[in-house]
Amino acid sequence: MTADTFLSYFSERRFIRDLRARSKEGVLGEMCRALAEDGEIRDPNVLLEMIRRRESLGSTGLGKAVAVPHGRSTAASDTRVIFALSRKGIDFEALDGEPCHIFFMIVAPYDDVRHEYLPLLGKIVEIVSDDAVREQLMGADSFDAFQAVIREALGE
Amino acid sequence: MSSDRVYHLVALQDLELMIREAQDPTKKEEEEKLGFPVQGMAELEKAREAVLKKIPQRDLRLYQRIKAKYDRVVVPVRSWICLGCFQALPTKATRAVSENGPLPTCENCGRILYWL
Repeated sequence: MTADTFLSYFSERRFIRDLRARSKEGVLGEMCRALAEDGEIRDPNVLLEMIRRRESLGSTGLGKAVAVPHGRSTAASDTRVIFALSRKGIDFEALDGEPCHIFFMIVAPYDDVRHEYLPLLGKIVEIVSDDAVREQLMGADSFDAFQAVIREALGE
Repeated sequence: MSSDRVYHLVALQDLELMIREAQDPTKKEEEEKLGFPVQGMAELEKAREAVLKKIPQRDLRLYQRIKAKYDRVVVPVRSWICLGCFQALPTKATRAVSENGPLPTCENCGRILYWL
């Protein structure tokens, strides 16, 4: 996946520099609302309910400060990702028990005809598995800075 | 509330998809390989039961009838296009859902419509 293709799932309006929420539930709500405010989703509650259910199958807090809440919903017509940072860190019930600071929320359509969902999820996991990239993502204070980190991580 | 009628059907459809994928060994393995646990099916089943209780019987009957024909029962509408069959909807199509009236459906494929 090229950097351009990867970045096409993101947008400046879906970049949250520092989450206001201080709890896992709050983070999920804030990110779903951001997606709705971007005009992608009419009702954030539909999405939030789906994302919550996915979390009930097991936390998407991967550990090493990263969480990737994700799911597919009838309410989504395209695959979209929201990126958010929490400077303070959130207890996301991550596998390592440590607070999460870096959040990627992926929302894909119910039918995922383009088969984008799992490859995208895999690419995000691959990107954040690098210690240096996580460090750089933590310091991304603008969408431009975020894009630069991703381009470098993907070797461009 | 009347608009909740479609909302609950969307929640049911999303949940059924999640349950199906969590029960699919290939899909489950793909997610778990990436580091995401897929456990707690009982919670999802409970959630499904809870959503089912909120759906009026006639809406559920319609949902089941369409499901016998299509995988996706409720489909989004974008720019007056039904994203189930990709046919344009007539301008008289309404997104309003009344308390006791019929649910909005596509004239072409018959699926229940959810306006984005």
